[in-house]
Amino acid sequence: MLGFAALAFLAGVLVSLSRQINGRLALSTSALHSSWWNHVVGFAALSIVALIWGGLWTPEVRDVPGWAYLGGTVGVVFIAASSWLIARIGAAQTALLIIAGQMVSGVALDLWLGAPGNPVARIVGVTLILGGMLLSQRPRRPRL
Amino acid sequence: MGAVQNTCMETRIHHLLLAFGTGGLLSLMVLFNGTLAAYGTLLFASWVPHATGSVAALVFLAVLRPAKASVVRPPMWAYLGGVSGAVTVMLTSATMNTALALSGTIAIGLAGQMVFSLLADARGLFGLPQKMPNARDWAALAMIGAGSLVLIFWGGA
Repeated sequence: MLGFAALAFLAGVLVSLSRQINGRLALSTSALHSSWWNHVVGFAALSIVALIWGGLWTPEVRDVPGWAYLGGTVGVVFIAASSWLIARIGAAQTALLIIAGQMVSGVALDLWLGAPGNPVARIVGVTLILGGMLLSQRPRRPRL
Repeated sequence: MGAVQNTCMETRIHHLLLAFGTGGLLSLMVLFNGTLAAYGTLLFASWVPHATGSVAALVFLAVLRPAKASVVRPPMWAYLGGVSGAVTVMLTSATMNTALALSGTIAIGLAGQMVFSLLADARGLFGLPQKMPNARDWAALAMIGAGSLVLIFWGGA
């Protein structure tokens, strides 16, 4: 149990690590170049895993709806935007605000798709997150 | 260039909105890639978006032709962000079906992300600017963290 918790924690660390590395690459190239490298290198790594361990294809994948293949295109914009942001507002702000956006849009998406959920928890959770976002926005001070 | 320096590491409203919108993209990715995972393996659900994303990024590059910021070559390790992302998929698949359940995996993962991000900012790791969180940052972190935990553990049915 503790071992799995450590693995889950490490997965989060790696998300942040990869965002920082991509952010560093974007500083020397561009956010879009960085996103392309992230996808190509990740593709190569996962292809090697698939060649060694298999487990890539199952017969059911023929039935995947076409729209589900759009995730990669959205991912390109996602990686490019986060690579651009991290050099400007820092790793912690980037992570925090992306988490905020993911949580709030997740609730919106659930409501739209009609997924069941606890309305009180949704209201409390979204209110806390939006309040935190307001706080993170520093009041603009005049500069000399 | 001066204007860029001036606003550096200050969260402005357009940064806030862009980051928030980027988080929204993540929800869409979870929906799309999660659907892939419902039909195929987790490896398939990560391999496919990396393949289609590589092609899509090439198209974006060809159309938008972004200028490179520097003629100096970045360090070799800067190209390896994708490896870290690929390993994340394997770790997630290893933990998702355990006693932690999905909500626990997500919550602990977000905690790991925040802790390492704060550490990286404080030390200025990986050639990115150094930045210490102030009281306002900690308060925002506490509120967004608490709201996220409420949604993760009690937001479901």
